[in-house]
Amino acid sequence: MSENIRFNFPAPVIDESVERLRMEVRAFLQDEIRKGGFRPVTDCWCSGIDPAFSRKLGQRGWLGVTWPKQYGGRELSALHRYAITEELLVAGAPVHAHWIADRQSGPLILATGTEDMKRTLLPRIAAGECFVALGLSEPESGSDLASVRTRAHKVEGGWEITGTKLWSSGAQICQYMTVLTRTSERNDNKRHEGLTQFLVPLDLPGVSVRGIRDMSGVEHFNESHFEKVFVPEDAVLGAVGEGWQQITSELALERSGPERLLSTFVVLEKAFVQGAATMSGHQTAVMGGMIARIRALRAMSLGIAALLEQGHYPEVEASLVKDLGTRFEQDIIERLREFWPIQLKQSFGDELHYLLSDSLLRQPSFTLRGGTNEVLKGIIARGMGLR
Amino acid sequence: MGFEMEQTDQLILDTSQRLFVDHCGADVVNTAENGVAPTRLHTAILEAGLPLAWVPEAAGGVGGSLALGFNLIRQSASFALAAPLAETLVANRVLAESGLELGDSWSVLVFDGGSLPTLYDGKVNGVVENAPMHTGVVRLVVPVSDQGTMRMATFTADNVSIDYRESLAGESRARVQLNEACPLELSPAIADITEQGLMQFCALVRACQIAGAMERMTELTVAYVKERQQFGRALGKFQAIQHKVADIAGESALANAAVEQAVRELSAHGQPFSSNGDTLLSVATAKVVASEAAGTVARLAHQCHGAMGFSFEYPLQQYSRRIWSWREEYGSEFYWSERIGLAVANELKGSPTGQSESQVWDIVSR
Repeated sequence: MSENIRFNFPAPVIDESVERLRMEVRAFLQDEIRKGGFRPVTDCWCSGIDPAFSRKLGQRGWLGVTWPKQYGGRELSALHRYAITEELLVAGAPVHAHWIADRQSGPLILATGTEDMKRTLLPRIAAGECFVALGLSEPESGSDLASVRTRAHKVEGGWEITGTKLWSSGAQICQYMTVLTRTSERNDNKRHEGLTQFLVPLDLPGVSVRGIRDMSGVEHFNESHFEKVFVPEDAVLGAVGEGWQQITSELALERSGPERLLSTFVVLEKAFVQGAATMSGHQTAVMGGMIARIRALRAMSLGIAALLEQGHYPEVEASLVKDLGTRFEQDIIERLREFWPIQLKQSFGDELHYLLSDSLLRQPSFTLRGGTNEVLKGIIARGMGLR
Repeated sequence: MGFEMEQTDQLILDTSQRLFVDHCGADVVNTAENGVAPTRLHTAILEAGLPLAWVPEAAGGVGGSLALGFNLIRQSASFALAAPLAETLVANRVLAESGLELGDSWSVLVFDGGSLPTLYDGKVNGVVENAPMHTGVVRLVVPVSDQGTMRMATFTADNVSIDYRESLAGESRARVQLNEACPLELSPAIADITEQGLMQFCALVRACQIAGAMERMTELTVAYVKERQQFGRALGKFQAIQHKVADIAGESALANAAVEQAVRELSAHGQPFSSNGDTLLSVATAKVVASEAAGTVARLAHQCHGAMGFSFEYPLQQYSRRIWSWREEYGSEFYWSERIGLAVANELKGSPTGQSESQVWDIVSR
């Protein structure tokens, strides 16, 4: 008889310093809300853009916490970072400006960047003063990233980049973009070869960034065009041709983080507080059921954090978390509708209605961004030997 | 791999795995339901001492951790075990905690989460509507109410009235009636065993069984869709099927993560049969998620299996029928969801400010 199929989600070792840090962040955020420092928003890691707030977090030492001290980090564990990000998410804090740089670009630069990039950029990212956008998707490449058409041609002393990147969140306030390009001709049998990432300053001649308004009214998406943009040799991240490996190796981290289950928690929090005194038995059960699912998803997500900390690469488990978690973020809104119908565009000062309607308008993106759920299910099926 | 355990625990699990493989194949489970007692399986389990896994060494048991017992229960459910091992493990642990004598074979805890029979003047009266049971049971452990305090009373099958039933999966259940019944033994009141604690413990046992059964259902489904050819290719090559299998894996993984977390929480609490706020949340979460998953996994696994999974001979149905009945016992997802909702609402109502920004999160993230 063959082995049972069991995915492993061990308990992370959470020491006191993690909990202490969590409480510090929580107290700071509650104080900020009370002082009117920010207004809680739903899906805050994509919709809440406030560079000044990001700088405040940087000043407190809460960005880039896992990086080496020489590059502006604090050499804390991934679980410290996990606790910080959780607290920011559930408070609905405007964290989009620094989110990608802190989560993804910083670690990418740390792993593949030149010494000069690390020395000059990482401390600024950790200070909340430098933001980086992702240049992955294109008009003709959504889920199928290997089909990117943006080209980088070798020229004297560097590379010349031409192409268009789409859906880059926050690019209008970012100083840099990591741009995935094709550096050698596409070979249909080896589609993942010949791709290279560059770190491109967005103020170079030939770069134009145009905002795109999404269906919820927020203009965080961008279309960025690169017209014969010259970058020097040392703008290459890692080695030429390693682009695909770079973007896939971060996926387990990117896909299993708390932002894949907590994007709408701020709504549930508010609804629960508002309903607590008068809930019927049925409503109590519906609300309690959501708490159960979040707790279970969180156990999975933390389990992956523990595996990553142990040096494992749990790709399938991470895909499971993102698939289940993002669908649940959407489901929260559908379940709350039963008790708080969502009709009008205007909220007339009703904070809960504002958060609910905004969540409804934003939730289609949850199961798309960072790899659609269909792509994730394909990864899971492959992990189970079906592909 | 599983709940954090000691090395000796792993040896025991390896032994039980071999034992179940040898004596509890799919045919044994089916014939047992048709009335042929799986004598070799039963003898092997008892001889290996598995029902004593949770009994302290001082009381003649193995002295295994909570994690060992729950692992054993999950493993046994992945074989649709045709033996009341989970029931006896629970009953024996309760007997040991109560300082009462163990039975030398199968025992059951006559408890279904409903109101307790009452003790008066040394005699017990009352009805337990849906108790786990077994025809070979030698010891019935009945939590009884003595003017509001709980005590444990033991009986043999002869001195109570047992009305035998079957669960959806053909597992033995019974309506047990106690009529001026004189206990063999009666424990004093025990501080560390509460009605709530027992309810939670039994709910976690069922959640654990569901998780184990769903693992096997996942495995059966993956094997079937790889093997079965239709329209010129394996079913598993169709994207529609792949996505169903991914959903099965997700629900199963979620249930397992919740069950493991609850076992950790209960182990940290130290007293398995009493409850506090943290164990309530964790156990309730496990039972909610496992019971919800049971419906989804059974539906999808059957869909992937086509008519084959619907036949009695093919093993899938032994698991789907089990999880359909286990999800109802000791509180369904609806019951435990409401318990969680109430616990959170009560805490919110009792808080001084009433409008703090992260009270619900504070409860979730504990």
